[in-house]
Amino acid sequence: MLERVIAVARKETRELLRDPVYLGLAFVVPVALMLLFGYGLTLDVKRIPILFLDLDRSATSRDYIDGHVNSEYFVLAGVVGDRHAAADALRDGRARVVVEIPPDFARRIAAWRPVAVGVTVDGSFPSRGEIASGYVTAINTLYNQRLLARFLARSGRGGAVAGGGALPVSMNYSVWYNPTLESKNFIVPGMMVIIQMLFPALLGALLIVRERESGTIFNLFCAPVRRWEIIAGKAVPYVGVVFLDYILLFAMSIWLFEVRFVGSVWVLASGALLYSTCTIGIGLLISVLTRSQLAAMLIAFLVTVTPAFNYSGFMAPVASQDAVGQFAARLVPATYFMDVLRGSYLKGLGFAFYWPQLAALGAYTALIYFLAWAALRKRIG
Amino acid sequence: MRGRLLAMIGKEFRQLLRDIPILGVLVWAFTGAVYVAGHAISMETRDYPVVVYDLARGSHARELIARLRKPHFKIVRFAGGDADILRDLDAGKAALAIVIPPDFERQVERGQGRFQIISDGTLSLSATIAGANIAEVAFDYGVEILARDGRLARLAPEGLPRVEARIRAEYNPNFVNAWFASLLEMLNLTTLVAALLTAAAMVREKEHGTLEQLLMSPLRPAELFVAKIVPTVAVVLLFSLASLFGVVHGVFDTPIRGSMLLFYPVSAIYVFAAASLGLAIAMLARNVAQAMLMLILVLFPMMFLSGAFTPPESMSPWMRYASLVSPMRYYLDFGYQVLFKGNGLAQVWPDIVGILVLGGAMFGVAVWRFRRLFR
Repeated sequence: MLERVIAVARKETRELLRDPVYLGLAFVVPVALMLLFGYGLTLDVKRIPILFLDLDRSATSRDYIDGHVNSEYFVLAGVVGDRHAAADALRDGRARVVVEIPPDFARRIAAWRPVAVGVTVDGSFPSRGEIASGYVTAINTLYNQRLLARFLARSGRGGAVAGGGALPVSMNYSVWYNPTLESKNFIVPGMMVIIQMLFPALLGALLIVRERESGTIFNLFCAPVRRWEIIAGKAVPYVGVVFLDYILLFAMSIWLFEVRFVGSVWVLASGALLYSTCTIGIGLLISVLTRSQLAAMLIAFLVTVTPAFNYSGFMAPVASQDAVGQFAARLVPATYFMDVLRGSYLKGLGFAFYWPQLAALGAYTALIYFLAWAALRKRIG
Repeated sequence: MRGRLLAMIGKEFRQLLRDIPILGVLVWAFTGAVYVAGHAISMETRDYPVVVYDLARGSHARELIARLRKPHFKIVRFAGGDADILRDLDAGKAALAIVIPPDFERQVERGQGRFQIISDGTLSLSATIAGANIAEVAFDYGVEILARDGRLARLAPEGLPRVEARIRAEYNPNFVNAWFASLLEMLNLTTLVAALLTAAAMVREKEHGTLEQLLMSPLRPAELFVAKIVPTVAVVLLFSLASLFGVVHGVFDTPIRGSMLLFYPVSAIYVFAAASLGLAIAMLARNVAQAMLMLILVLFPMMFLSGAFTPPESMSPWMRYASLVSPMRYYLDFGYQVLFKGNGLAQVWPDIVGILVLGGAMFGVAVWRFRRLFR
């Protein structure tokens, strides 16, 4: 029984070794993607082109402008005095943010009166627009704090307020898990989950359907192996390849990208082994259900990348999704592994904390393999 | 000659349209998958999950908490102790904890109230923005309390001096992520499907040995090439049209402001280029499996450098140069400018030039590799 699984696995391994291009790609592709994302994917939105429609043209307005430009978040795309020029710049993308400073800006500031500036953000890339708004808000708040401090000093209240914040309400801010707030600390581990979702599913998706297209599947069907032995035998070498990939990616994350890792290697490794088995299984299930390699590839692509990218909590906490989104997240195996993986990298929690996720992943995997077994028919035609 | 070409195109069309499973998958891709992508939220800090530990239980604390609610934050729990905070942050149920100390009320009255924010830095970007939002809320509340001071109010009868930033978003006033995400998914799928369909169609002929038959036929290389590409281009364009009006516009109400007479001809050129890329890869690969991995190796960097994740202006210098050779960068920019902003030729001509140049190059490589078959 077990020797038949081993026999199928040996056959698969030999086939894999005989196609060195394919085998090479099986290692090159994840590593190349990791290099690309690790070095290149900064989600940090910086150097946003900002344009000022300065209708005041005073030293005060100039000072307000400098507050924005002297940060790494914005670069000055221009200071104009003409509304049409500002609208055009936003339209053709030369500016993503336009700030309109009204004509009486300096006069009102000098008279300690409130004043409004109009900020127009290009919303066509919503998350980028929101981040830009966040930056404007932060810089504006900073400006207001200084303005208020000057006002309070003038009115004789400045000395009464202790501790830097010149206000009756202020906050202490501390950051856990990723104290330097570096985006690579969440992107690199997150990418491992996404790459290892797509890639094994694609590898697995061709396993059965390829033999079906070329007709060699009948050799297997006629051989004295049972259905589950075919599936297990085909899965084993590929789970091995994917797990090796995973070790490579892990090594890259630690030594190349220097991501903080505070957790247990064993929690991570067991999660990764389960996850690799699961994603290869998803591929196999697709492979059993389809009749052409093209269909299998397309389906593998569609059911992995988009859901994993959007629902697994890669970009935003799962808890901020609506009810439907949170339900969808539970259907994506990447969600469970994302928890375990990010937690292992940044939070340092152990088996005691993550066994529910690991158990869920295990149950998921078992279900996938059961479905693949149930759907595989030896009947011909 | 025309007859030969038409016959061959007809054969390719029939082959594609008879493949019911593939058509089914394409229908799902351009409707379901686009919907799934559009439904998700992105990294904006809307409904950011917060756990509150209020030890003061006074009016100032209540007021502050009330101001933190919609739209930016969602309070998932009022903690009963430190352990709750730890558990929620560890488990990712909350991404931010607010602790209001017991003597908060008294300290606020004395002009020095401080509360504590603990932020989960795992998702560093959302954490930064959430921090900025809370800082603003706290500042505004502080200013309001100050303004209640009669002496200060006399000095500043219109309210304390401040610059109010009235933020308004053009083209997508409520930052609806679905508008962006569904369109992005559609444009990505257009690229992927065009390249994949052509590559698979060609490699399959290789795998089955039917390519030799085609080479023996009186078809000229150019004819065979066109015949392999035209059906894919037509089908993909049709699906993208249905997706744009059926899902992107139909379901998510994404406004379409631009001219279809500009969008579709340029899209046709782009899809033609993507299909050429698929064909070029098919020339290199020996089987479908190899072609698939090679395509990923080419397409992923292209998508990644398209500016959808990292805006071109925020890219590191080497990336910005690399992104110049990603045709998707131009197509994406073109698509968003035309569809969202209603821009015309005057604004998007640089994108069109980019698509033409890179598309021409991909087409050239494909033709060159293809002609070698006939030697």
